[in-house]
Amino acid sequence: MKPAPFEYYAPESVEEVVSLLEKLEDDDVEAKVLAGGQSFMPMLSMRVARPEALVDLSKLSELDYIREEGDVIAIGAMASKSDAEDSALIQAKQPLLHAATKYIGHRQVRNRGTVGGSFAHADPAAEYGAVATTLDIQMKIVGPDGERVVSADDFYVTFLTTDIDSTEILTEVRVPVLPAGTGWAFQEMSRRNGDLAMAGVAVTLRLDAGKCSDVRISVFGVNATPVRCTDAEQLVNGQAPGDDVFSKAGESAAQFIDEPIADVHGSADYRRQLVNVLVARCLAEAVTRV
Amino acid sequence: MAIEIPKSPEELPTTSPRFVGKNVNRIEDPGLVAGTTEFIDNFSLPGMLHCAILRSPHAHARVVKVNADAAAQLPGVEAVLTGEDIKRWCNPATTSPEGWGTYPMAVDKVLFVGEPVAAVAASSRYVAEDALELIEVEYETLPVVKDAREGLKPDSPVLFEQHESNVIHDRTHIWGDVDKVFAEADHVIQEKFRWNRCGANPMETFGCVCQWDVIQDNLTCHGSYQTPGFIGLGRSASLNLPSNKIKVVSHPHGGSFGGKGGPRGTDIASLLSRKANGKPVKYIEDRMEYLTAGGGQSWDRYYDASIAVKADGTVTGFKVDLLDDQGAGAEGYGTISVAKPLAAFTGCYRIEAAKYSLKLVATNRAPTYPYRGYGPPPHNFVLESLMDKAARSLQIDVAEIRRLNYIRPDQFPYTIPSGNEYDSGNYEAVLDKVLDMADYKKMREEQAKAQAEGRLVGIGVASTVEPGVFDWNAYATVGVPGVGVPEGVKVSIDILGNITVTVGFSLEGQGQYTLAVQIVADYFGVEMDAVRVAYAATDVAPPHFGPGGSRLGVALSGAILGACKKIEEKFRIVAAGLMQCEPEHMELMDGLMRIKGVPGAEMPIAAVAGAMLARSDLLPPGMEPCPEATYVWTAPGRNEPDDQGRCKSYLTAANATHVVLVEVDRDTGFTDILQYFIVDDCGTRLNPSTVEGQLQGGVAQGVGAALYEEYVYSDDAQPLASTFMDYLLPTVSEVPITEKGEVVTPSPFTPLGAKGCGEGAIHTTPAVIVCAINDALSPLGVQVRETPASPNRVWNLIQQAQQ
Repeated sequence: MKPAPFEYYAPESVEEVVSLLEKLEDDDVEAKVLAGGQSFMPMLSMRVARPEALVDLSKLSELDYIREEGDVIAIGAMASKSDAEDSALIQAKQPLLHAATKYIGHRQVRNRGTVGGSFAHADPAAEYGAVATTLDIQMKIVGPDGERVVSADDFYVTFLTTDIDSTEILTEVRVPVLPAGTGWAFQEMSRRNGDLAMAGVAVTLRLDAGKCSDVRISVFGVNATPVRCTDAEQLVNGQAPGDDVFSKAGESAAQFIDEPIADVHGSADYRRQLVNVLVARCLAEAVTRV
Repeated sequence: MAIEIPKSPEELPTTSPRFVGKNVNRIEDPGLVAGTTEFIDNFSLPGMLHCAILRSPHAHARVVKVNADAAAQLPGVEAVLTGEDIKRWCNPATTSPEGWGTYPMAVDKVLFVGEPVAAVAASSRYVAEDALELIEVEYETLPVVKDAREGLKPDSPVLFEQHESNVIHDRTHIWGDVDKVFAEADHVIQEKFRWNRCGANPMETFGCVCQWDVIQDNLTCHGSYQTPGFIGLGRSASLNLPSNKIKVVSHPHGGSFGGKGGPRGTDIASLLSRKANGKPVKYIEDRMEYLTAGGGQSWDRYYDASIAVKADGTVTGFKVDLLDDQGAGAEGYGTISVAKPLAAFTGCYRIEAAKYSLKLVATNRAPTYPYRGYGPPPHNFVLESLMDKAARSLQIDVAEIRRLNYIRPDQFPYTIPSGNEYDSGNYEAVLDKVLDMADYKKMREEQAKAQAEGRLVGIGVASTVEPGVFDWNAYATVGVPGVGVPEGVKVSIDILGNITVTVGFSLEGQGQYTLAVQIVADYFGVEMDAVRVAYAATDVAPPHFGPGGSRLGVALSGAILGACKKIEEKFRIVAAGLMQCEPEHMELMDGLMRIKGVPGAEMPIAAVAGAMLARSDLLPPGMEPCPEATYVWTAPGRNEPDDQGRCKSYLTAANATHVVLVEVDRDTGFTDILQYFIVDDCGTRLNPSTVEGQLQGGVAQGVGAALYEEYVYSDDAQPLASTFMDYLLPTVSEVPITEKGEVVTPSPFTPLGAKGCGEGAIHTTPAVIVCAINDALSPLGVQVRETPASPNRVWNLIQQAQQ
């Protein structure tokens, strides 16, 4: 379990990274960007991934920050997940992101793994995917043509694939602060503590004169990309909170999922059932937090 | 000369034992904590090369051609090994029964995914793995035998062409008048069970550094070997070398649990060394190799079993029909796992007759190996599940049906129908204690309340016997040759009175070196740090076997006490000469040789040893100046199996009852272990904290088997659990904190009264957890009969109940 040979680069600025990626692309060298390596290093060691060049971002201290910018929390792509977990700012102003962070692997993984790496790797079971679509997180991407911002809905393309081009890197994720009066919940089911989720759900909602409003429900771990369950959201919007409506939403979300992933841990039917249960549970939990 | 070995700690030559029976800190731990213990991957030799193995991607295929020319040309590559070399230099693995082994590398066919087809030795593992990519192998795929049921079909492909079928072993044992007890039963409780393949996963995989001395034609193998002597004998057979020309050096290893294996890796690294003109070759099995083709797969079983029960709940008969998937041959001694249940076939119960029908089948899954417990854990899961089913249908409490059937304290030593003799026990005392600790009555009340709320809460109670101290006859029924299991040590006292114990096994995690020091320190009245344990490789060690079959604690105690006693006898003569009295008036007590009944007439043992080595003029005539002794212990009274396989095999029978409370999530099928209680009786507890560690580790593995671990295979026998993302070991988050209690019924047959306890709780934990889940599910009318009880499986059952 040793990687195949590769060229190794460790540029020290975003500018350098982009020009290096451009040059490698021009030279027809297949390059891969490395952040914390928590998903990529095993793939490299198993020779599942075998890029010709590896561009290590670990020297980009300019991307290691978590700061408040008005009603947005800006997280530099190289901030570690442990930093996100320990951030008082995130805990206070974006508790959904904070809760999801604690589900990512174990502390050792979060120490090495970066926030940007999780978004950019786009594993179907990544907690941040559902958080992104629920909160409409904006991704700041830098490339040869400068900077652009992509919303979560457009960011995830398919299995392990995002809108980031081969000469671009993700530099920042911009997470809206949770507005006051918003309830939230995050739950997932994995075989063991710290495992990849078989299914997970992120929910936010508000109450308007005793009726649910602004309901957002996202599911992850069941399809190639996170899924916003808009039908289930519609079912709940305008309704008084209650077990009945929440279980209907669960059933709707479960049916909304097209061909769930099946593996040795859970069949497609079982994953659908988990979505059903978790959506209902998350809605009920979110109401308690409004 | 018959050596009398103390039967209890009170018989040690000390006023009061200071170390034996006490919670002493393990002498192994500082090195482990500080990282200075030399595991095999930390070990290097000058000029050492690194091995990588090319493995089959097919479960069954003919190897048409292997072209390794390009690999051999890659800079850094020093040797390439293919089936051609193997055919020239090797023999197929010896197996039990005979004739079911393959070569360490495929020579014409591959029989499982991960079987080696070529190997490279290079300047680094990286280069070696690069070279593997240059080897071209042409395969012609063959139809696959995906599991034991397929393998039995008349039109099934045959894996070992010299045999006409895939059936490795087919035998029915009948013990007592089993037909009669079933005919006379008021109830026959019958059920089918599926135990899916799981197995050992030590922290450290197998590794070795092998060096073939091409001038002297001898071989040295350093490695993480559990049983170095046995490995040496096997290599002698496979590599065509005289057994005394193979030196096996066992390095401290990070657990084994029976799965360390290593024959294939050792043979391949050895032959690469031979091809590389004697340069040492290191092979470190990686985790994917271990999970797909290492020694970690065991117990792939289909059961059809029944018990005969009288109206009052007395169980009179037990029938087990077992179909066992051995995988691609018998090279891993997976066969012994079906033989071991003979040592405790009827568990804790006075069942008078039994029948055991066995079919062991070769398939295109990986070969199976031993795993901690060696077979009884699935067997106990079957028996305990049937006891629960009987209790439910007779409306008897699950604890009470067990109590009713226990072997009573006055019946020991007790011979069970399958022939083994249980030494001692007090099963009812163990049950009472654990029920009391759990507050069983209140637990049942809480359960009733929870059930009224619609929650699926269940309680499991399971009682088992753990056979300890295996012997040569235990696996004879499946053809295991009587290689013997002596355990020998040498105890030496130097001129300053410091003591060294030389043993033939290395560190594996069970704290045996600490035990050696505890006993010697108490015996000779010295501090523990005056005693050192030295490891001796197979070329110089006394006869030894090492850890296995829960034997080493007892066997090592016997060997050390025997050697100490021999030294004591010498010292008695030497001291008597020095103190001018008769040897029979001398005694050893608290580190002093003293004249009985004469206060102050005494010599420290250091002075006796010093005089022996330094002053030959003071020695009695004929006394050798040698304050050391070797003693080889073996269990007394072991006999040959009769025509039904009955024999006294395991010397001790430890006992435990576990009580567990679980809750099953009706919507997701997840099981949550809420409370866990254990009371066990393994006789004298030589180092109680070690016993506790053994128990807790066994619980962890039992939780894994019950809820998480499964080597899943696809229909074309492709392994689907080849990493720890798919083969799920329970972590600290999943293993419950257990509350433990003890009952001590010393063994009348062993040194110091200790019983084997190394396989610990894995005998009981899978059974008790599944029993608890079934108790939780019983209001729904469905029951788990397949392990692991994964959430998906349990949810399927709940769905079935709701339809």
